[in-house]
Amino acid sequence: MAKSTKRTARTKSVRHDARIFAVGTRFQKMARRPGGVPRDQAIERAQNFIDELKPEFVNWLDRKLQELGTAIQQAEGSSFDVSWHERAYRSSCQLQDVGATMGFELITFVANNLCKILEVIKMGIAYDREIIKCHLDALLLAKSEPYRNLCPEQLPEMTGGLQRVVELLGKLPDREVK
Amino acid sequence: MKDRHTINLGDLVILIADPNSYLRRLIFGMLRGFGANKLLEVDQSLDLLRTLTGQKIDILLCDARFPPHGGLSLTKNIRRDIHNENRTIPILIMSSDGREATIKSSRDAGANMVIAKPISPKVLYDRLAWIAFSSRKFVDTATYFGPDRRFKIEGYPNGVGRRKEDKVIEVAEEVGPALGQDDIDSLFTATRIGQS
Repeated sequence: MAKSTKRTARTKSVRHDARIFAVGTRFQKMARRPGGVPRDQAIERAQNFIDELKPEFVNWLDRKLQELGTAIQQAEGSSFDVSWHERAYRSSCQLQDVGATMGFELITFVANNLCKILEVIKMGIAYDREIIKCHLDALLLAKSEPYRNLCPEQLPEMTGGLQRVVELLGKLPDREVK
Repeated sequence: MKDRHTINLGDLVILIADPNSYLRRLIFGMLRGFGANKLLEVDQSLDLLRTLTGQKIDILLCDARFPPHGGLSLTKNIRRDIHNENRTIPILIMSSDGREATIKSSRDAGANMVIAKPISPKVLYDRLAWIAFSSRKFVDTATYFGPDRRFKIEGYPNGVGRRKEDKVIEVAEEVGPALGQDDIDSLFTATRIGQS
């Protein structure tokens, strides 16, 4: 009986040990082959592709801002739709994820701020029309010339103010939370 | 990241999983510029799992919030599925949430690397090169299957030290500032100096 107990304990011990092993993936094997596009050239080619897309990017931006505006309208209009939040959040994330890659750094900054606000709203903080409207206006501004070529650091008053809004929302007392 | 290796992506099957079609298009174009010629894309989990079980994939680039369950949950599932022949493929998580807790969650789910959105060609290229040229071992325990998660302390954000007496860094709460790509990289650097 005692022997059996010992064996069980030993087996358990082995079972919980970490097994560490080398994995030779095909990705590593193939990616290390000679003959790839040299780094600088590869990056330049990728950047050229992005630059080619830029003229039409504004159209995509217009569509996304329209989608966002429609979702927000449904949060406050007579045609209230509970799915507004999901759609507004999705549009904001998309704007944030793509903006800076396409050279619109301000779009990414403002959309990122809006994402944070929508996350807080989802957690129960009351919807504030003025805060959302302020961000929609900032997105429109960030889309327009000459702001589209600026980075957040070049507009410290605007970006600092928007950031402060998020910070304040994060510090609301518990009673404000639904 | 000082890696300046050239990578050869020709004939490698790369799967891009992101719900945002414009972002997929951007990544697709960047990878083509890097020389990739076998690119697949999916916009939801079901298609991703179907693709992973239906064919051999060489690397997965997956959104952290990939609907409906999220890229981290998918990563865990892929790593834990002993029947999945793609179980050990490199997984690169693309995340717009740069909080340290999120990065650590990605690492603990079994991701090889996290790349911060928005993504630039340079950052994408260098992270792919890092995955290609850094041979991390795999660890299989009762609670984890994935690349070795042991990291050196140096490089943690905000100057956390490397001294022996320094406390072990606790996993953070879901708060805190977003990390930059360099800080994210430091959380994915193998601990043992000399480990190739």
